[in-house]
Amino acid sequence: MWSSEWLILLVGLPFLGSLLTALLPSHSRSAANWLAGAMALACFGIAISAYSSVTDGMVVRHQVEWVPHLGLSLTLRLDGFAWMFSMLITGIGALVILYARYYMSPKDPVVRFYALLLAFMGAMQGLVVSGNIILLAVFWELTSIFSFLLIGYWHHNQAARDGARMALTITGAGGLCLLAGMVLLGQIVGSYDLDVVLQSGDLIRASDLYLPTLLLILAGALTKSAQFPFHFWLPNAMAAPTPVSAYLHSATMVKAGVFLLTRFWPVLSGTDAWFFIVGFAGLSTLLIGAYFAIFQHDLKGLLAYSTISHLGLVTTLLSLGSPLAAVAAIFHMVNHATFKASLFMAAGIIDHEAGTRDMRRLSGLFSFLPITATLAMVASAAMAGVPLLNGFLSKEMFFAETLEQHRASVLDTVTPYVATIAAAFAVTYSIRLIHTVFFGPRASDLPKVPHEPPRWMRLPIELLVLACLVVGTIPGLSIGSYLDTAVVSVLGDATPVYSLSIWHGFNLPLAMSIVALLGGIVLYMALKSYLDWCEEGPPIFRRLKGQRIFERILVAVSWRWARVAERFLGTRRLQPQLRLIVVAAILAGVWAMWGARHLAPQLTISGVDPVLAMMWLVGGGCAVAAAYQAKFHRLAALIFLGVAGLVTCITFVWLSAPDLGVTQLLVEIVTTVLILLGLRWLPKRDDQIERHGFWVRLRRGRDFFIAVIAGAGMALLAYYMMMTPLPPSVGDYYLQHAYSEGGGTNVVNVILVDFRGFDTLGEIVVLAVVALTVFALLRRFRPAEDNSELPYQQREQNEYDSIQRDREVGETLKDYLLVPSVIMRWMFAAITLLAAYLFLRGHDLPGGGFAAGVAMAIGFLLQYLAGGTRWVEERLRIRPVQWIGFGLLAATATGLGSLTVGYPFLTSYFQYTEVPFIGGVPTASALFFDLGVFSLVVGATVLMLVAIAHQSLRAPKARPDRAVAERAAVEQGES
Amino acid sequence: MTVDLVEYPLWAAILVSSFLVIGSLLTLIGAIGIVRLKSFYDRIHAPTLATSWGTGGMAVGSMIFFLVGGGRPLVHELLLAAFVTITTPVTLMMLGRAAIYRDRSSARPGIPPLGRRVELNLSEKPSEGELS
Repeated sequence: MWSSEWLILLVGLPFLGSLLTALLPSHSRSAANWLAGAMALACFGIAISAYSSVTDGMVVRHQVEWVPHLGLSLTLRLDGFAWMFSMLITGIGALVILYARYYMSPKDPVVRFYALLLAFMGAMQGLVVSGNIILLAVFWELTSIFSFLLIGYWHHNQAARDGARMALTITGAGGLCLLAGMVLLGQIVGSYDLDVVLQSGDLIRASDLYLPTLLLILAGALTKSAQFPFHFWLPNAMAAPTPVSAYLHSATMVKAGVFLLTRFWPVLSGTDAWFFIVGFAGLSTLLIGAYFAIFQHDLKGLLAYSTISHLGLVTTLLSLGSPLAAVAAIFHMVNHATFKASLFMAAGIIDHEAGTRDMRRLSGLFSFLPITATLAMVASAAMAGVPLLNGFLSKEMFFAETLEQHRASVLDTVTPYVATIAAAFAVTYSIRLIHTVFFGPRASDLPKVPHEPPRWMRLPIELLVLACLVVGTIPGLSIGSYLDTAVVSVLGDATPVYSLSIWHGFNLPLAMSIVALLGGIVLYMALKSYLDWCEEGPPIFRRLKGQRIFERILVAVSWRWARVAERFLGTRRLQPQLRLIVVAAILAGVWAMWGARHLAPQLTISGVDPVLAMMWLVGGGCAVAAAYQAKFHRLAALIFLGVAGLVTCITFVWLSAPDLGVTQLLVEIVTTVLILLGLRWLPKRDDQIERHGFWVRLRRGRDFFIAVIAGAGMALLAYYMMMTPLPPSVGDYYLQHAYSEGGGTNVVNVILVDFRGFDTLGEIVVLAVVALTVFALLRRFRPAEDNSELPYQQREQNEYDSIQRDREVGETLKDYLLVPSVIMRWMFAAITLLAAYLFLRGHDLPGGGFAAGVAMAIGFLLQYLAGGTRWVEERLRIRPVQWIGFGLLAATATGLGSLTVGYPFLTSYFQYTEVPFIGGVPTASALFFDLGVFSLVVGATVLMLVAIAHQSLRAPKARPDRAVAERAAVEQGES
Repeated sequence: MTVDLVEYPLWAAILVSSFLVIGSLLTLIGAIGIVRLKSFYDRIHAPTLATSWGTGGMAVGSMIFFLVGGGRPLVHELLLAAFVTITTPVTLMMLGRAAIYRDRSSARPGIPPLGRRVELNLSEKPSEGELS
């Protein structure tokens, strides 16, 4: 018995190989090739060895639990059908790697190529052996991503980038739908396990959610398999290197869609919705793909449309809902993979040797490369469905199935006719491919003189063409049993009796084949001269390009709409954005509070302290005044704001919340100063602006109104909150246990650093992130035109200083600031002491790490104000980022410390330590945590300060550059 | 640190209240001054009432209150008064400087210009007092 652990290897080896390849030095072409080839061959070997375990509907399963309670597990499951796909993936993968060794140019970074190809192989392999439908969706998306990277491999090429992006957009969106569909499927069945899902066909089809599930899954499958109307990404993906096309667009990636359809065929098919949606998509794709393929001039374009058409054929077969059709579908998947991969490789050889893929230029190549030509002819014949080749067999089966009556409808009636016409088209484009490229006069104007490729480059094609021949002539002996294994694993007991023999006697399908062959030849004769000179693309539909429509939509969504959205919501115009945010907040608040009137507490005048009331009147008045002045007197508005903040501080103290009072006061100071510094960079007042017109008043009135509503709403909310009697809450617990458990009498601080230490840790992390973001944003900030220069006061001073003989620039400022700056410098020591005081008493009395940190930051702030940025930074090396880092580490390490002694994360330890001369000193491990908070707050605040302060250094520097640039521009204009 | 207000001696209460009233009265006068005085240079003197004797009165009141109440030593008020005395002049000084600088550069009448004196006295720098 084959061990199920091998499955992990089967999926894991390509990824491992990808990683190893990626680690190789970039010039190791051969090593990368050998490594990739060895990995592919190893997987191929594993796949072969698994065969005996999957015959007769046997299944190998390997399960690793992932999130069991959500039903997610890493289940790998190999059955006959998955085995057949594994053989294609690994086998053709190995051949493609061999082919790529000779195809890829020495200039290409091949290490990346093989790494991506192997990763794609792993994703595809994972997709086919997934035993959990969510895992399947994950691998599905991985194939989309790796195909994106592979298609865009030549990323210097615009077509490659566009093609890759289109492929990713379409298949990625499809993958998202598929994931949703899989979740729905899991909801219906109650399990994400593939085996369980496959058992529950009746349940699924009877469910109310069947239709949405079906639509979502089909959206995934049809986009991936390039079915109409999502077919247009595939021709654009031809910008990829040919090995990628041969692998992704014949054997694997596009087969994923039909694989999925076949995989869920037992549970999803058989309904009207399935028949009509899948049938319509398949049939139209079959016809349109074949029709479009005739009129392509690019060899790979022709093959791409032919692939679309053949996938349409498979989809049509699957739509019919009969087991025999499913057999034909599976058979055709294998056949198409073999002949199309070989044709892509042959096209690659022609491109490689002749230097062009344009069929109007290629001609008479048979005499240059006879062997390749012969191989391509056999493969094309298989594509056209010529007897004695594998394409013929599955096409016969297809014809036979189309003739059967499945569901009485127009679609069912037209199927045989459409099938015959599409087959005739297939014959036409196959003949065109062979006839124009290999026959006719010898082309003389080719970029290169073609000759036969290296022996080993041809080998993959030879092997694949051999397979076409063998399967075509002795199907029963060669592929019969393997196909049977695959079919049984999909259909189970419903497996029909079918015959793989070549000769079924004279019957209608044979007649259809003959009609198609003859019709195709006649059509080619008729079109031959037209095709030599016509424009690329089929008549009538030439102008209607899916690609164009797609790009239009893309432009509309990602450019036009995005710009409109940016215009209304973007940060370029801060004021409208803020207005929107505030209005949205008001609306959200109203919406949430709507109908909560009965909760409103009684508003009474009695019992209001007159002093507090007066203070509030002042504070509220200032807040309103700030809103009123905000438009044209920013400084006045800021001062009013400061008063309102001070009243808030006093209110906190009044209502016995000294902690909040202290913190609020310090925060108020820092905020005011930082905003003051920021005012410098706001646009200057423009005296030209009309300030008393009607519209100006209206706008100001509106903004004022919004501000007042928002403020009053906040006040109302706070009032509701405070006047509503609280139910017994966790707060009582904290009050009772702050000392006994946390060892501190300042309950607020104990809550912050002990009881809810984890929250605090999260908050300080946020603070650090905010500070770094502010820094990052301001680092690239360049002030607006009108204030990028020094303020005129400074310019005047400097001018004055430079005129005076005995003065240096900056001396006036220094003189003016002499006394204040000396006092401010002295204050540094006092403020540091205050910070230490606040920090140390924090555990028992108002204060704590946060307040101390802000106080310390104010100390630094004062130094910057007093001495200027340069002065401070010449003398004092503040490393705010290190402060932040230390803070985070200290806080986290304290938390981890409790883990080492067997307590949960952030458990605080508390004791009295005897210190000589001082006596018992309360020591809590939370103190170290608080130290982290302190350090982080200092670092974060100072970092923001530094970011703003450096603006004033940078702006004057930016000027000379601009002056130079302007001068250069002027000189250029003159010359 | 709580002080029993019921048992508090009357004389001390009167003393404390009078200091508080003096302090707040001076602060109020300063505030009225800001409104009533005409020029910026006049007005800038008004709030000094609050930061000097206004603060002082309240600090003394508080000292007496806690001294008699037996609560704690008097360091807080001393420090407070010291810091207020040291720091608030900085604010006023900067405001005054900014105002005079602006008035000079816009050549408002009645403001002694800076430049002329320096030009006359090239040999020695003007001292702080001369500048303002």
